[in-house]
Amino acid sequence: MSYVTRVWQDHKAAITPWLFLLPGILMFAIYIVIPIFQSIAISFYRWDGLGEKTFIGWENYRELMRDDIFFTALQNNVIWLVLYLLALPAGLLLALFLNQTTRGIRIYKSLFFFPFVISQVVVGLVFSWFYDPSFGLFNTALMKIGLSPIAVLADERYVTYGVIIAGLWPQIAYCMILYLTGLNAVDGEQIEAARLDNVRGWRMLWYVILPQLRPATFIALVVTVIGALRSFDLISIMTGGGPWGSSQVLAYYMYEQAFSEYGFRMGYGAAIAVVLFAIMLIYIGFFLAKMYRDEKGR
Amino acid sequence: MAGITLNKAIKRYGAVDVIHGIDLEIEDGEFCVLVGPSGCGKSTLLRMVAGLEETSGGEIHIGERNVTRLDPAARGVSMVFQTYALYPHMTVAENMSFGLRMNGHPKAEIAAKVKAAADILKLNDYLERKPKALSGGQRQRVAIGRAIVRGPEVFLFDEPLSNLDAELRVEMRVEIARLHKEIGATMVYVTHDQVEAMTLADKIVVLRSGRIEQVGTPLDLYHDPDNRFVAGFIGSPAMNFVKARVRDGRVHAPGLSDEAFAVDIALPPNGTDLLVGVRPHHIAIDPQGASHTLIVKEALGAMFHAYLEAPTGERIVVEVPEAEAVGLQGDVGLRMVPDRLLLFDARTELRLR
Ligand SMILES: Nc1ncnc2c1ncn2[C@@H]1O[C@H](COP(=O)(O)OP(=O)(O)O)[C@@H](O)[C@H]1O
Ligand SMILES: [Mg+2]
Repeated sequence: MSYVTRVWQDHKAAITPWLFLLPGILMFAIYIVIPIFQSIAISFYRWDGLGEKTFIGWENYRELMRDDIFFTALQNNVIWLVLYLLALPAGLLLALFLNQTTRGIRIYKSLFFFPFVISQVVVGLVFSWFYDPSFGLFNTALMKIGLSPIAVLADERYVTYGVIIAGLWPQIAYCMILYLTGLNAVDGEQIEAARLDNVRGWRMLWYVILPQLRPATFIALVVTVIGALRSFDLISIMTGGGPWGSSQVLAYYMYEQAFSEYGFRMGYGAAIAVVLFAIMLIYIGFFLAKMYRDEKGR
Repeated sequence: MAGITLNKAIKRYGAVDVIHGIDLEIEDGEFCVLVGPSGCGKSTLLRMVAGLEETSGGEIHIGERNVTRLDPAARGVSMVFQTYALYPHMTVAENMSFGLRMNGHPKAEIAAKVKAAADILKLNDYLERKPKALSGGQRQRVAIGRAIVRGPEVFLFDEPLSNLDAELRVEMRVEIARLHKEIGATMVYVTHDQVEAMTLADKIVVLRSGRIEQVGTPLDLYHDPDNRFVAGFIGSPAMNFVKARVRDGRVHAPGLSDEAFAVDIALPPNGTDLLVGVRPHHIAIDPQGASHTLIVKEALGAMFHAYLEAPTGERIVVEVPEAEAVGLQGDVGLRMVPDRLLLFDARTELRLR
């Protein structure tokens, strides 16, 4: 027996899982882990993507501190985050509403789920038309009730909210599906026990049903936070960050600095990406800590 | 003071009647057991009393009140569910006090009631635990505690012991009996286990397919069943049934014996088909005879169950004391006391008396 065969024979059980994990680990390393470190490294250079890299230390970060658009983007990301969280209660309400057995309920469920299935690009286009000052439904409706039209996407005051509402549409659908699945697992006898205790309506929801939906809430929270922080497609389709950078978010600003026609500032873009990564890291840390606690608690 | 009265209570799902007009009187403080095979409508009937199922027809009274259309919470009942239905995110104390807290009782009163219930059920050491960290028996205790704390007039139990292992089941059965003595409230208890019914009940209600077959004390039902169903359902091991026919004013049951025997009740006309029922300990084996074949002996300790096959192919179980059973084998005879036999009309399955 050769040495290799003998090692294999003796440690089969220990080696096999790693063999199965290998393709995934390789992919994850090549496309996720290594690029993260590369980005962090690049953020300390000035680089146009083709020519010489020049090490400039913290200069990119110092420039960020002076960059108004960066702070607008940061602020908008916070607004996105806060408003995106509305997807949770809205999804829950929809799920509660759709969690019944009437004829054709599946059709209604599918219809409500539909926005999540279609591409963000399509969602962006649909909402661009919806807001269009000349033929959009939104302004047609405003005029019907006697208000003057608002060019939502051209107005600095409203543009971010307009895009967020477009983003909420599929996000609510996603949360709704998560909650619908969660509601399936709710114990009917607990609800009946509570009914005997004269608990109903909001108190039933709060004290009996929501605690049972905690796993669904947790997943919905995580995907919503991540979804808000990496918002990109809708900005790109609907506003391109405008007007005058007022609807910028970090992900899109990074792309604009690093890859768009304004110049290929790889280092500066990387610095923005690192800031975004740091923010996400807070949530990922929270996520992992919670997973770890749950695993241990079992 | 709250007995329960059902008056032609009906439950209908769509066009299907599940409970067919039940009349039932449960006295104040009585322990009433609803028993019957799976799917006969026990849970449905109990849940109608609780108000968790709408009553499609008839009336339900608790005490003096007509509760037929009342909300579950307004009926003054507590229910213990088969799966316990404890709130997993609350501690034992929080589970027990939940109803009181939700209905704005003062803190001191709640604490006192939880303590009292915990004392009765020996739960004091577990009050701060979550249900997850309790055994099945302890969880069931908590569920009962939650019912007690509310101080209801009526307790409803839906197969509360069927998720427990055999040993715990006996223990909890005794516990529930003690509880009933201590609290003295009216209790309605659903089970498919006739042993539980026999041991716990003041009054047993035997249900089949949404109808009452018989109501009575455990021993009434055991000794004096109204029909073949009740006779076969109550008692363990179950009663033996063999076919018989009226011949010359006597009963001829070839599964028991070649000879027809006389009984002291009025028999229907010659040629009527009957069923003879006999409990396994009301017949004996005659080692000298050779009318039946011994198939299997089951040793239960002091008693054996002997499974016999009659020449007609019918199976008969006989309870035999250990001393007599040891040597038994091959072909044996049967000895019986005609007084101990119960006769049923083969067609209607009603008892002949
Ligand atoms: N929601 C329902 N719709 C139609 N039939 C039902 C429903 N719930 C129960 N049933 C029927 O009612 C009968 C009695 O059920 P149940 O009371 O649960 O029986 P059990 O005596 O085993 O507790 C069963 O035959 C069951 O199929
Ligand atoms: Mg049942």
